Amino acid sequence: MKIQNPKFKFIVLTLFTVHCSLFTASDAHAMHISEGILPFNWAALWFLVALPFVAYGLRRLKILSKTDLSIKPLVGLMAAIVFVISCMPIPVPTAGTCSHPAGTGISGILVGPTISILVTAVALLIQALFLAHGGLSTWGADIVSMGVAGSFAGYLTFRALRSVKVNMTVAAFMAGVLADWATYLTTSVELASGIRGDSPFLPLFYKILIAFIPTQLPLGLLEGAMTSGMVVLLYKKRPDLLVKMRVLKAEEAIS
Amino acid sequence: MGDLGGIKRLKIMEVFSEHFKTGHFLSKVDARAKLIVTLALLGMVLSYKGTMFPLVIAAISIVLCLKMHIPVRILALRLAQPVLMAFAVLLLKLFFSGEDILFSFNLFGMELDGHKDGLIEGLLIASRILGGVSLLVAVGFATPFIEFMAALSWLRIPKSFIEITMFAYRYLFMFLEDATTIYSAQKNRLGYSGIRKGLSSFGVLTGSLVLRGFEQSQKTADAMIQRGYTGDLPLLKGKPLRTIELAVAFLIVAFGGAVWMI
Repeated sequence: MKIQNPKFKFIVLTLFTVHCSLFTASDAHAMHISEGILPFNWAALWFLVALPFVAYGLRRLKILSKTDLSIKPLVGLMAAIVFVISCMPIPVPTAGTCSHPAGTGISGILVGPTISILVTAVALLIQALFLAHGGLSTWGADIVSMGVAGSFAGYLTFRALRSVKVNMTVAAFMAGVLADWATYLTTSVELASGIRGDSPFLPLFYKILIAFIPTQLPLGLLEGAMTSGMVVLLYKKRPDLLVKMRVLKAEEAIS
Repeated sequence: MGDLGGIKRLKIMEVFSEHFKTGHFLSKVDARAKLIVTLALLGMVLSYKGTMFPLVIAAISIVLCLKMHIPVRILALRLAQPVLMAFAVLLLKLFFSGEDILFSFNLFGMELDGHKDGLIEGLLIASRILGGVSLLVAVGFATPFIEFMAALSWLRIPKSFIEITMFAYRYLFMFLEDATTIYSAQKNRLGYSGIRKGLSSFGVLTGSLVLRGFEQSQKTADAMIQRGYTGDLPLLKGKPLRTIELAVAFLIVAFGGAVWMI
C-alpha cells in the first residue's frame, strides 16, 4: 500500500518526528523554547512584547511592597514553587510519556496575572541559567507564552466563571486547562514564526500545533485537575489565605 | 509517575550548575566580564548566517565545561533535551520545508522527499541551538548565582526583580527537598498506583508546596522585619571591573566578531 495523500503524509511524519524527539525523554521540557531556536530578530521582538508586562508587574510589586513588606518574599517563594512544579513530570496516558505542568494558572489565580508574570519570569531565568531549560535569548518568548498568555488565561477564566457563580472547583479546573492550552498555542505561534524561514507561516503553525496535540490536550486536562486540587486544598486548609489574595470574599470563606 | 524530573537519580543539589562552581579557572573571573562576553557571543550566534560559527562556539563551550571538570554525565544530561530539539527541527525542515529535492525514500508506504534547502535551513537552526545552549551551559557552570545577580544588577536590571529572584533561589532547594520527601512518602503508600490516584496525590503534593510557600513567606518577612528589613535587600556591590578582565573580554568579543564576519 502506498500512501500518496500529502496532507496525511505530513501529519503522520510530523507527529512521529516532533513528538518522538520532543516528548519521549523522561523529563520533557517542551514548554520552554530552547536557546538558539529563535533568530535574533524574533528573539528581540518577543523581548519587546514581554517588556511592558514585566515593567508593569514590577511597578505593581513596588506599590504593593510599600504597604505589605511580605509581598516580595511571597512572590519569590511563588516563583520557587512554580519552578519546582514545572520540574515535575506528570503522566500523559495518551502519549505514553511524561510532560510537565506550567503552574502559571495557579499563580495567576493566587497572585493575579501581573505579579504572576514576574513569578514566571524569575522561574524561567533560574531554569535558563542553571538548568539550560529555555534560554536567555528565548526568555522574552517564554515569558510571553508561559507568563503572559498562561497567567492571563488562567486568571481571566477563573474570574469570569466565578463571577457567574460557577463552582470554585470547576472554575479552577477550567483556569488550569485554558492556561496550559493558551501557553501551548502561543508557543506554537512563536516557534512557527521563528523557524519558518522563507516558508509560509500558517502551514508550519498547523504542523507544530498538531505535533503538540497528543501530549498537550490531555496534559491541559491534567493541569486543570491539578489546579483545582490545589485551590480546593487551600480552601479547606487555609481559606484566610485565599481571602488575603482576593481569590475569595470573606463571607465565602466563612460559609 | 516517573521520578521527579531526574531528581531522584541525581542528588538534588547536583541538578544545578551552582553545585560545580568552586575551584575552576573561570570561577575567579568577574561575573560581569563573563556576562558581557556571553551576551555578545550569543548575539553573534543568533545572527550568524551559517553553521560554522555556532558550532565553533559549541565546541569551545563544551571544552570549557570539561576543563572545569564538569562530569560528562551531567553535561550530557544538560545537553540531551536541546540536542533532541535540534534534531526535531532539523527533520521538520528537511522533510517539510523547501522545494529542491535532495533524496526520496519509502517509509511504511509513504514516499518521503528530503529537501536540500530545507536541510540547510534545518542545519542553521540546529547549529544555533547547539551553540546557544552550550554557551549558556558553560556560563551557568562558571558563575555562582550571587555573582550572576550582582552582574545583572550592574546591567541595570531592576533591583526588585533581582530581589525576588534571590528569594526564589534561596527557597528552591527547600521546596525541592519537600517535594521529594512528600513524593517518596506518597509513592511508598501506593499514591501513584493508578492515574486517578496519581493525579490526586500530585494535587496534594503541589497544594502542600503552595501552602508551605505562603506560610514560609510570612515567617521570612517577619524574621527580616525584626532584623531591620524595610523593603529592599542589600545586593553584592561589585568592585570596579579590572582592566585586564575588561581587555580580555574585549579581545574575545573582537575575535568572535572577526570570525563572525568571515
